[in-house]
Amino acid sequence: MSKRAALLLVSLVVTAMVIQVSLLPVFVRPAFKPDLLLVIMVFIALRSSFEAGAPLAWIFGMLDDVCSGLYLGLNATAFLISFFVIKSVSDRLYADSAILFILTVIGVTMASFTLNLLLMVLFTASPGIAYSMFSDIFSRILVNAFVASLITVFPGFDSNVEPA
Amino acid sequence: MDFLKKYMYPLLTGIGILAALLVFSLNVPRNREANILERTVFTILSPLLQPVSRVSGFIEDAWDGYIQLVDTHRENMRLREEIRELNRRVQDGSEAFLANQRLEKLLDMKKSVKAPTVAATVIGEDATSWFRTLIINRGSSSGILEGMAVISADGVVGQTVKVSPASARVVLLTDHASGIAATIQRSRARGVVKGKGEMLCSLEFTTREEDVKVGDMVITSGIGGVFLKGLPIGEVTMVKRGEYGIFQTVSIRPAVNLPHLEEVLVVQKGGYE
Repeated sequence: MSKRAALLLVSLVVTAMVIQVSLLPVFVRPAFKPDLLLVIMVFIALRSSFEAGAPLAWIFGMLDDVCSGLYLGLNATAFLISFFVIKSVSDRLYADSAILFILTVIGVTMASFTLNLLLMVLFTASPGIAYSMFSDIFSRILVNAFVASLITVFPGFDSNVEPA
Repeated sequence: MDFLKKYMYPLLTGIGILAALLVFSLNVPRNREANILERTVFTILSPLLQPVSRVSGFIEDAWDGYIQLVDTHRENMRLREEIRELNRRVQDGSEAFLANQRLEKLLDMKKSVKAPTVAATVIGEDATSWFRTLIINRGSSSGILEGMAVISADGVVGQTVKVSPASARVVLLTDHASGIAATIQRSRARGVVKGKGEMLCSLEFTTREEDVKVGDMVITSGIGGVFLKGLPIGEVTMVKRGEYGIFQTVSIRPAVNLPHLEEVLVVQKGGYE
């Protein structure tokens, strides 16, 4: 990854975190908050190499954990697993497709939900959290898909981040 | 005759001035009445004055409205800017007034708490909707430790977790991981307030025999040492006693308006490093 791309990515992630923590809660109901880091992770997973993408997916998950909930490493694990799954099939797919990107975001949102739920039920004492998670999974999928569709209209969407 | 010829002009001048002075002096007492001359002149001129007045009005309008438009536009911009500035001041004033009211309430609460407190401002919320946490602008450099009670003017907010030097996370009482020892203020029935996500809590481990009614105030019991005794937690909104089971189901609405929380107090008592 070039220096310019790395700088762009860092600024993007920092902006996404600030928006997610400070801006969105003021204007958007909790159930309709998109997971911006998840969307960025999916983009990285589809476009970047395995070596660069895997640590990035984990770091993005950790950053998501820093801004959310109590369990550091929860999203990191879910993101990393999702990354591996995407990477295992992305070479056989037309990764530049906007539709594929949106569908992958939907899939990863569901996978992340399932993995988070599973990990919390297995390893934490959070009775009743499943109800909260189930109650807004549908809106979460829709909002993440919406954000992903917005990203596809950006001019640089078709260009490769890094040759795989 | 030679005399008249010689001094005609100065004489006429004098007479004229004198006549003028005379007319003037005669009209001074009647300055509010139109004399015959004036009436005649006005009668003749008025039919002419009307259309000319219209034309001049049109020209004046055209001048002010179009030819002097640059100045008007500039003035308009200046006035708009002034309005914007005044609106901003009015908004600042209202905001300061509201902040003052909130802080006054917070100060009252601070006085009633028998432990040192640190005031903090909410600077962020949880990134996802599955957990209920806040980020405040005070951390370990202000003496905050993990596990300290966080309250607001209306009652209990939650507990500090993940403290960094300049900020700290607060687990709200509505989070699934939260648990606060509580008492029903009226009947002194005990239980543990657990978060239910959304904006609700439940009172758990309260036996079926305990007297709990809708509208009862739930306060902290002080057991556990994190929260001081007697802080408002919320109000009972639903009580359900099934046919079987040891405990009753009690729903609580928090006393604090959590989605609109701006300032909080961290009680510097207890906590762990």
